[in-house]
Amino acid sequence: MNATVIIIFLVIVAMTLVITYYAAKRTNSASDFYTAGGGLTGWQNGLAIAGDYLSAASFLGIAGSIALFGFDGFLFSIGYLVAYLVVLFVVAEPLRNLGKYTLADMINARFNAKKVRGAAALSSITIVIFYMIAQLVGAGALIQLLFGIDYLWAVLLVGFMMTIYVLFGGMTATSWVQIIKAVLLMIGTVILSFLVLQRFDFSILEMFAQVKTATPHGEAFLNPGVKYKIPLDTISLMLALVLGTAGLPHILMRFFTVRDAKTARSSVMWATWIVGIFYVMTIFLGFGAAAFVGSETIISTNPAGNMAAPLLAQALGGDILMSFISAVAFATILAVVAGLVLTGASAFAHDIYGQIIKKGQATERQQMLAARYASVGVSVFSIILAIFAQSLNVAFLVSLAFCIAASANLPVIVYTIFWKKFNTTGAISAILTGLVSALVLVSIGPSVMNPEAGVAIITGTPLFPLTNPAIVSIPLGFLGGVVGTLLSKEANEKKFSEVNVRANTGGFRQL
Amino acid sequence: MAKTATGNNVSVPATGQDKAKIATNKREAGHIPDFEAIEASASFRELMKKKKAFLISTTVLFLGLYLLFNLVISYTDWLSAPFIGDISWVWVFAFGLFAMTWILVTVYMKRASKFDEMAHDTLKEFNYDEEENR
Repeated sequence: MNATVIIIFLVIVAMTLVITYYAAKRTNSASDFYTAGGGLTGWQNGLAIAGDYLSAASFLGIAGSIALFGFDGFLFSIGYLVAYLVVLFVVAEPLRNLGKYTLADMINARFNAKKVRGAAALSSITIVIFYMIAQLVGAGALIQLLFGIDYLWAVLLVGFMMTIYVLFGGMTATSWVQIIKAVLLMIGTVILSFLVLQRFDFSILEMFAQVKTATPHGEAFLNPGVKYKIPLDTISLMLALVLGTAGLPHILMRFFTVRDAKTARSSVMWATWIVGIFYVMTIFLGFGAAAFVGSETIISTNPAGNMAAPLLAQALGGDILMSFISAVAFATILAVVAGLVLTGASAFAHDIYGQIIKKGQATERQQMLAARYASVGVSVFSIILAIFAQSLNVAFLVSLAFCIAASANLPVIVYTIFWKKFNTTGAISAILTGLVSALVLVSIGPSVMNPEAGVAIITGTPLFPLTNPAIVSIPLGFLGGVVGTLLSKEANEKKFSEVNVRANTGGFRQL
Repeated sequence: MAKTATGNNVSVPATGQDKAKIATNKREAGHIPDFEAIEASASFRELMKKKKAFLISTTVLFLGLYLLFNLVISYTDWLSAPFIGDISWVWVFAFGLFAMTWILVTVYMKRASKFDEMAHDTLKEFNYDEEENR
């Protein structure tokens, strides 16, 4: 670790702590804690969504994947981006109009049943935990590579920082850490893209021509099929990505931080441009790394290709640029995990403690205390899990999180808003069917069961052939909602009128 | 604006408190609006008709194109044919999906401001003041 790295690293840490200090002064109520008082503007929230969404896996992982696998490395980005249309068209505005702090609030605007809230909180917590382990284990490994700190200390460092932001600064601090990270990430990516394009004389044709001969894959590098060779598996995964974003609780939570549906809408617009432009630039980063670093060097530093972007920075801009990119990666990790802690805490403290146990009668002080205890609890729990999961291959956990989000959360959201006959039993059964089928199918699939000893958790032939079960579990989630609804005689049509009017007009929020 | 924007800054999850709040709201005066009447009104039905027509057609379009793209690249190598130089069609279509996303977002933003106006009219018709209730 050289002096530049340490200085840039400390500047970022100091900056986020200053934000947390000022945010802490403004965090005086549960609403401040969970939603930053609902006062973010469209562009602020748009940047924060991008900051929440573009994890280190996106930044380092996708750049590395493109460097090693060409087009197939880029494929996921298409799903990650198109997904925002589902977010914009289906969930963003009704969520803002109906909910308060969590997804369960929105569903309960229609049902007001503890069991529905409990089921929604359970699926949110499951998604957050899986996502979080993936992020923390990834973060530990990355920081180990970037700064040469031991895995254990790296996880503890990230864990400590995220706890501080959330505990003291709540959503205000988390949002601003995400906004700053998004800006830094874009600056870093623009600089790297510019340097790469400069080397190709700003000709995209020239870039493709050189990359074609730069990798061991030759021409195949520029076309699909290098990495994903099982069609049904690829389609299933792409389905999880496009439908999952609209069910990710930490993304959904960002729509409560704005004042109305109009602002929620414009924040999605901002996020779509930022995220999309970022993904386009990862192509330049990936191709640049393939051409100017070389796959041998990339793989020898880290087999998954995670070091492609920092190595590219080193090759094009020397130590200073490499330090800057490493620091950006660190900020990226912090912003994402802080958002996850807050989301997990809201499910525990607001849904389970505040609404189910205290029946919505908790005082402001009790709500704040619960939120803070829950934040520490979620942080400590995930840090411990991450420490034990170090040697596990956690790459599949993120796609599993998307799969659960698409299977357990999306059906219930769609039915709540659009289906008049939908009822309490249907809601519970939609969530649980989606959640359980996704979990079971993954645990009997190739990510958990592998015939080769030591590759996966269980040695044996997988009982389910697909790595990502979305193509089965999403229809099951939707089906579960229908079956549950038809099995119960309960009618909810009067309440649907209310939800329909409120979701589509934005009026009568205080009811 | 930003700080005072949310009426729910004073957090009131409890139904008891909610009732108290509605009662203090001078115009609402303790009565719950007739949502079925609003839902049945001509202006609201017009809003929903326009909104659904837009959302259903665009959703079918973008999900259809997205799935088609994935099916084609997974099962065929049609898109591996060259477009210009070493750039194959797959990049053109991939970027096409990016462009589609940005275009649909932009179109929706315009449409949605019309929906906002219609929603505003419906609320006004039923004497609900948006500004007062923020």
